[in-house]
Amino acid sequence: MRKVQNRACIRRLSFRAFCANRTRNLIAILAIALTAVLFTSLVTIAMSINYAFQQSNFRQVGGYSHGGFKYLTEAQYDELKEDPRIEAYGLRRFLGMPEGAPFEKSHVEIGYSDANQAHWSYCDPIEGRLPAEGTDEAATDKHVLELLGVTPKLGEKFTVTFDVDGHTTTQTFTLCGFWDYDPAIVANHILIPESRVDAVLQEVGVTPPGNDGMTGTWNLDIMLHSSLNISQTIDDILADHGYQNESRAEDGFVSAGVNWGYTTASLFDDMDPQVAIILVSLLLLILLTGYLIIYNVFQISVTHDIRFYGLLKTIGTTGRQIRRLIRWQALLLSAVGIPIGLIVGYGVGALLSPVILRTLDGVVDAGPAVSPLIFVLSALFALITVLVSCWKPGRIAGRVSPIEAARYTESSTTHKKERRTRGAKIPQMAWSNLGRNRKKTVLTVVSLALAIVLLNLTVTFTNGFDMDKYVSRNMVSDFVLGSAPYFQMNGMDPTSALPESAIEQVLAQGGVQAGGRVYGNTSVVQEAVTEDWYRASKAYYASSEQLDSMLAFAERMPDGKIADNAQLYGMEDFALDHLTVLEGDIATLKEPGAHNIAAVYSSDDRGDPIPDSHWAKLGDTVTLRYVEEFEYYDPTTGEILDPNSISDDQPYRCRATKYHDIPYTVTALVEVPTPLSYRYYGSDEFVLGAQTFIQDTGTSNVMLYSFDMQDEASIQNMESFLSDLTGEQMTSLDYESRSTYQAEFEGFRNMFLLLGGALSLIVALIGVLNFFNAILTSIITRQREFAVLQSIGMTGRQLKTMLTLEGLFYTLSALLLTLFLSLIFGPLLGLAMNHLFWFFTFRFTILPVIVMFPIFLIIGIAVPRVTYRAASRQSIVDRIREND
Amino acid sequence: MTILQTQALKKYYGSGNTEVHALDGVDLSVETGEFVSIVGTSGSGKSTLLHMLGGLDRPTSGKVYVDSQDIFALRDDALTIFRRRKIGFVFQSYNLVPVLNVYENIVLPIELDGNPVDQDYVRQIISVLGLDAMQTRLPSQLSGGQQQRVAIARALATKPAIILADEPTGNLDSRTSQDVLSLMKVTSTQFGQTIVMITHNEEIAQLSDRIIRIEDGKIRG
Repeated sequence: MRKVQNRACIRRLSFRAFCANRTRNLIAILAIALTAVLFTSLVTIAMSINYAFQQSNFRQVGGYSHGGFKYLTEAQYDELKEDPRIEAYGLRRFLGMPEGAPFEKSHVEIGYSDANQAHWSYCDPIEGRLPAEGTDEAATDKHVLELLGVTPKLGEKFTVTFDVDGHTTTQTFTLCGFWDYDPAIVANHILIPESRVDAVLQEVGVTPPGNDGMTGTWNLDIMLHSSLNISQTIDDILADHGYQNESRAEDGFVSAGVNWGYTTASLFDDMDPQVAIILVSLLLLILLTGYLIIYNVFQISVTHDIRFYGLLKTIGTTGRQIRRLIRWQALLLSAVGIPIGLIVGYGVGALLSPVILRTLDGVVDAGPAVSPLIFVLSALFALITVLVSCWKPGRIAGRVSPIEAARYTESSTTHKKERRTRGAKIPQMAWSNLGRNRKKTVLTVVSLALAIVLLNLTVTFTNGFDMDKYVSRNMVSDFVLGSAPYFQMNGMDPTSALPESAIEQVLAQGGVQAGGRVYGNTSVVQEAVTEDWYRASKAYYASSEQLDSMLAFAERMPDGKIADNAQLYGMEDFALDHLTVLEGDIATLKEPGAHNIAAVYSSDDRGDPIPDSHWAKLGDTVTLRYVEEFEYYDPTTGEILDPNSISDDQPYRCRATKYHDIPYTVTALVEVPTPLSYRYYGSDEFVLGAQTFIQDTGTSNVMLYSFDMQDEASIQNMESFLSDLTGEQMTSLDYESRSTYQAEFEGFRNMFLLLGGALSLIVALIGVLNFFNAILTSIITRQREFAVLQSIGMTGRQLKTMLTLEGLFYTLSALLLTLFLSLIFGPLLGLAMNHLFWFFTFRFTILPVIVMFPIFLIIGIAVPRVTYRAASRQSIVDRIREND
Repeated sequence: MTILQTQALKKYYGSGNTEVHALDGVDLSVETGEFVSIVGTSGSGKSTLLHMLGGLDRPTSGKVYVDSQDIFALRDDALTIFRRRKIGFVFQSYNLVPVLNVYENIVLPIELDGNPVDQDYVRQIISVLGLDAMQTRLPSQLSGGQQQRVAIARALATKPAIILADEPTGNLDSRTSQDVLSLMKVTSTQFGQTIVMITHNEEIAQLSDRIIRIEDGKIRG
């Protein structure tokens, strides 16, 4: 085929034809923009969730550099940092950590970080700056300052006693900058100048790397050109400089690390199939919605301009050129519509993503993701929709024969030759008019129906969330009081025990009907388990490689069994009575002095017990070892190690040196409801009666106090009392109540209502736009016909009645279709949701359809009337002359 | 008896230099039962005159009386109702409603009026116009002559006093034109109707009782 220089000509022609079609353009741009809004908000939400996941990981890791080389000498640092594969680098030199009061509960590191490293570790002063070299300055976060009792004011002096490779030193600093504390970040930092690091090292007489192999060494944190293949790039850099990080024993070993925040736990990496299916079906749904209208707009405009295309054909335009002409118009429309959609969609996504993030546990709200990828992806999806939509109209226009084009009218799709006479009543005419272009009518009706079907499904979905199921699973009593760390699932230690004074205050409020303490073990309790059970019970969260290394570190009993930690409950009667007894008799635990024990089984989401979730059966003997003292040793050499200076890569085991063993008989198999449990898993759990627990463990740390109130009024009093107590007086405590869960549940349900509602709203907008477009074009193309009808005696009122009826037929058909689809898909969705959410109970509803009914009636009546008014300004004579 | 009368009928389009005098003072009267042709060249104002006579367009000044009623004294909808009772239109391009079949197109003006259809009368028209065999067909399945016959049937259906025909044979060949014209004459005589027809075809015009020539918006001769 010859290449002809006609592109410019086609483009000019497209542009002229484009400009001549203003109403169509407006509707098409709106449609494209709305489609782009849907895509962009979906992508923004997905990326924001992913971003939040990543940010949460980075905060756990402590920074977002791609990776780094650890424990280098200064020479190695200077050499490696120059590598061209490194885009940016930061230096960190660890000096020491304070351990005594007030830092028992905090992980605080003292050291030097350069500007890059500090920034990557979230150490960005909100006031002041990083410390300057050669001064006694230091910068830290507000939490550390609070612990030190220092007011966050620049120039304040503070003194910290800390350990530098086994040497204790006390240093005084001047505060030069501080930043906000982020509870998601595990490590707190006190940053000091490098000169001070060297000075302190000299003062205590430590030469890097010290005994622990890390104090004062040079750590090189790096950013590569891209976050892909971080691990491989780091290995390559090492290899090219003659280093390796495989074996410590061999030459040239350099410890290197990859920030796992970049590699694991990304939403897209291990997305579960359900989420993937939901995302893909949403994408398809948006594509379909967009297609429905954009296709319709182009189809109508091509039909309308078919004579123009026939004319072009007559004067020698090829089908290919006509297709290109239509594609050009589509691209011009996209050039306007897509950017608008991207901006609005990003706004919608940014508004909605925090709502979703709030319902996800343990994920920081890092704000909406900012990435050009969002816009590239959304624009791409929108463009694909536009091109798919205008493909068929383009083919129709390209295929038209010049002769036929002149005769082409909307009714040409009707193949009926004759029709039974039913009289020329106005409703009859209106109904026949819908049949002129069946495809257009069907598309319009479907796009209108889609919105209500979606809304109906959303309502069915959220309506099915069963609050009773949800709350009864999560609360067994009116209130649970415990320490804040307990509710944050941080486990149990003496400092996070619930003080007796708090329980006394609760009881002093009056109105408490019944209650009971649950004690948690704060000393180490061990049980002997077989290697098989050890592997099986931990396979849930550890890979087989991790299990191998865990086993290598695990201490064994003389009989070869593994000494594994056990979690032990001591429960008062109130709590015991709320346990689910699978086998045996719980009353046996209440006998004082009896060495009876209950083994704790877990259950799945639906509440069915998992039979192999514990090894102990009724009648078994469990011997618990209460450990008072440990020692750490190197399993290969047998050398006893100092627990305070075991380096990262030193293998060690830990064995009990002072302990007592007590045998118990398993007299019950139970399940512990979540509100009474440790709330984290990992070890086998056992329940003892409260008295036995206190006696045998020698500890009496209360994990939680669970209690019921007498009546509704006392519940409300208690709620406000606890809210005040935990919020003002004893901030280290926290509580849960039925209403907390009701609120959480409402939040969860509202999120889906909001999302589904937003989606339905946009789809409804598209549907109404489509309807408007269909009515508008049908009125414009029939201008002449209407003039004729008027000339033979149809009054304006009768004409409006006919058009109104047409509109009503559209909307009523859409409602019927909705009803039909809802009847089919409602129960199907219900079935699927019952499987997916344990707190779902399907309840059929068509309430949204009924609510939408009057709205649709109004739309059906108003749209044709408004459009007709706009179109009927020309006189009958002018309209009769049109196309003559 | 005068069924149709105009007084100093004027229709100007535009203003100033671009002002066009489509009708410039037309006085005309037509007697009941007359068959009048209006002849003129393209742009002479004959179509404008017909539109004024039928009340499709309002004049700049002057009056039109149909059956002694000043039609422009009526409001739009009242005028439309008056038109469908008194006037039947036949157009050059037939202007049938594509979604209605032949019978439905014919009875449309009656049903728009909400009146019961006078079945005998309609059957009579249909048979006079030779449309018996195609009552249930849709307009797209008819030839031009057939479509124009349906249009005439529709114009006659409400028993109007006047039939206004705008180049009714403009799209037809000469043989069919003759047939359609004779049918119009026959029916108007049979049903006692007045016909005002525009044409630029002298031969067709010769079939009428009276020829009115119009030039530059004025009646000549």
